[in-house]
Amino acid sequence: MKSTLQKFARPIIAIITIYLVLLLGPIAALDIPVIAASIAKNPSQLLQFLIIGLANGAIIAIIALGYTMVYGIIELINFAHGDVYMIGVFTALTTLSLTGTLKSQDPVRIGIGIVIALVVAVVVGATLNATIERLAYRPLRNAPRLAPLISAIGMSFIVENIGLIWAGQSWLVPSFGTTGGGAQKEFPDLLSRMFVNMNMNPDLLASSGLGLRFTIKDLLVIVLAGVLMIGLRQFVQHTKLGKAMRATAQNRDAAKMLGIDIDWVITATFLIGGGLAGAAGLMAGLYNNNAWWFMGFRAGLQSFTAAVLGGIGNITGAMLGGFLIGLLAAFSDGYLNARWTNAWVFATLVLILLFRPNGLLGEQTGQKA
Amino acid sequence: MQHIKTGVIFGVLAGLFTFLFGGWSVTMLGIFAGAGLGLALENKLERGTQLAKAKEALPVALVAGGLMVALSLFGNFVVQPATGKFTALNTIVVAANILGFIAMVGLAMLTASFRGLDEKKEKTAKTILLAAIVIAFPFIDVFMNLRWTSNIIFALIFVILGLGLNIVVGYAGLLNLGYAAFFAIGAYTTGILSSPQHDIFLNFWLVIWLAAGMAALWGFLLGAPTLPVRGDYLGIVTLGFGEIIPVIFKNLIDVTINEPLTCWIIPGIQRLFGATSTVACINLVSHMDLTAGEKGINPIGRPILFGYEFQSNNTTPWYFLIILIIMLTVFLIQRMYKSRLGRSWMAIREDELASAQMGIDPVKTKLAAFAIGAVFAGFAGAFYAAYIRAIFPSVFDFSASIIILCVVILGGIGNINGVIVGGLVIMTADRLFLPALKDFLKGLLDFTILPALSSNPGLQAAVSQNANPILYRFLLFGLTLVIMMRVRPEGLIPSAQMRAVLHADEEIEAVQNDESKKAKKG
Repeated sequence: MKSTLQKFARPIIAIITIYLVLLLGPIAALDIPVIAASIAKNPSQLLQFLIIGLANGAIIAIIALGYTMVYGIIELINFAHGDVYMIGVFTALTTLSLTGTLKSQDPVRIGIGIVIALVVAVVVGATLNATIERLAYRPLRNAPRLAPLISAIGMSFIVENIGLIWAGQSWLVPSFGTTGGGAQKEFPDLLSRMFVNMNMNPDLLASSGLGLRFTIKDLLVIVLAGVLMIGLRQFVQHTKLGKAMRATAQNRDAAKMLGIDIDWVITATFLIGGGLAGAAGLMAGLYNNNAWWFMGFRAGLQSFTAAVLGGIGNITGAMLGGFLIGLLAAFSDGYLNARWTNAWVFATLVLILLFRPNGLLGEQTGQKA
Repeated sequence: MQHIKTGVIFGVLAGLFTFLFGGWSVTMLGIFAGAGLGLALENKLERGTQLAKAKEALPVALVAGGLMVALSLFGNFVVQPATGKFTALNTIVVAANILGFIAMVGLAMLTASFRGLDEKKEKTAKTILLAAIVIAFPFIDVFMNLRWTSNIIFALIFVILGLGLNIVVGYAGLLNLGYAAFFAIGAYTTGILSSPQHDIFLNFWLVIWLAAGMAALWGFLLGAPTLPVRGDYLGIVTLGFGEIIPVIFKNLIDVTINEPLTCWIIPGIQRLFGATSTVACINLVSHMDLTAGEKGINPIGRPILFGYEFQSNNTTPWYFLIILIIMLTVFLIQRMYKSRLGRSWMAIREDELASAQMGIDPVKTKLAAFAIGAVFAGFAGAFYAAYIRAIFPSVFDFSASIIILCVVILGGIGNINGVIVGGLVIMTADRLFLPALKDFLKGLLDFTILPALSSNPGLQAAVSQNANPILYRFLLFGLTLVIMMRVRPEGLIPSAQMRAVLHADEEIEAVQNDESKKAKKG
């Protein structure tokens, strides 16, 4: 009797689950028949969302690298990391504005301006992140674990408000019609302008006749993200500092005994993470063409989800997670409803933490979490 | 002599507040600062006769009262004119300052003299004094026309929320970064059940229990899946829930539920075989606007007591209602703290594995913490909805959860008195102090600073644009959290356990120092 019950228990639970999803899913725009019909009607749309998802996922992946490296070394969720990325966006915007690139039509000048903005954004992001570590986390390194986490949340609020004040300064951030620090600011589409002024079509697939849009922006973001990620991976695997980072992540005390300067290694980790966040800020600004003081919160949570999805502490995992979350967000925006995207991302985060807390590529680490 | 510093702190703080509010605020601050100073002194003094204690407190109280009045007069005649408000030396100023001074000195001495009583009487006396101040406050407020009560009610809502979160974070040690979700559930339950949104008008006295029950149910449902997760990850999962719930409330504006079997599955199969479906689709709910999205639910019904309907412009009944809820909350939490359940919360906080070995069921204990913690958020939500009469999903986002966490951490994790003080300090700073500071700065800018900068219009614009403290409120919250974690991680009024945990190193060091001193002497 018992065996029969057990035999049927799983299929029955599965059927009930499917029934409930069909019944209640449409409330959250998860209307499977409608979505299936939409995909069948226009399959090339699927490819289009794939492209958008990959490009956004590349940005998320780069931010996720910062989370995963910091968590790998000091087991702290650096809540302020998403906000460092936001500061990166504003740094880039201000640099482009102060160098006169925003109003320029000359493609060479735009190119040089973007490179300068990249350098400035990376330096500012790295410095800010290392400063945050110095001020808010290092004094609490031996405190109970709640203390640095609370401190991180506080730091996140502080950096967000620095962004809010920054966005309100009209001489730093050109307003393009929107005034006040709280409003979303426009980040001009410089890359497209650069290519149009070079007499090139920014849409790479315009002549293919597929009805798809794959612009130079998409390509650039994905390529740059790939380069940064591979570079970071090589750095961590093959340089002396990278080796020291891995050693510190494995066992801080043992690494200290072997003569590794722990403080410098941790600072270097924050510098690299912050630099990557700054670079991601410039890329996101050029790609999504907006800047907002609160954008770091959503981006931070998406990237943290990506880091957890890939297996926190794992660099390859963070990249994979970033692309997956980007795709999830793009498909949710496209086929479900943008209103529900955040809820789906969080739901993913909760589900991963509950069912596979070590992520897709993470190793079994006992009861760490 | 060593207590003079306390007196200076209280006097200067109270005096600085009078710059912002002016008028009768000196007297009100004298009452609060006097009682506060008395309580602070009372804890530090040695036992003795009542008269001796009152005498001991006299110089401190005189210093505090003198400083407050001096600063108040300085504010009235030097600082206020710079903001464009000229105050003549009229009867109100004289009366307010004299009464404030008397209140400060008298209350400080009276409270300090309680130290002369034996322990039981001391407690009773303190309770009576606090009760008298709490009961008298709204009437004095109305009499003095300060209109602080509505802000204090807000502070008290957050006190309840802090007390509820304290069960989860402080007692059971489960980090919860999404507590505002339960606040939202309480508020929306009230909103949906007593508003024209669905033409349901239930009585507030019933709805508040339904809201608490609903919050408890969701505390249980959201708590259950988080049981295997610990520490930081628990914080993130709860943060996720805390973000999803307001999103759901924001988006439930067009709810349609089709019965899937008759609407999709059977017609789909029939279509596979080439037939047009003849099954009638069962439509369970169609296009229902459940929560009104970002427009919010409005207006929500108000409580009616013996035929008297609570009004928005008369805050006194609301004040006593929330005081009643707080008393109930404190009573329940104190009873629970001492009960078997409360002790098991603390046991799993200290060591889950060991307490499980001792026969405590961690699953039951944790779920009880989540559900009971959520109950108080439900109370607060119901009161909030009825008091404000309109609720919007944006009120319950991450920052609300963090403010509640701030209340618990600033006040003192795991300590009821601490959380009450934390809630009052943070919310009065947020709702009373910052707006007053904004008005004060605006006056100062318009009248004194901007004309001085008229030669430089760019700087003038930049200054006037950025001199708005309301803009920086979350910056201040962030700073509070970071600074508290560095300076006093156990909070203003910590519980004994937390102090012991957070200062274990120092205590060990102190003991070692003592021992080494003894060794040297020997």
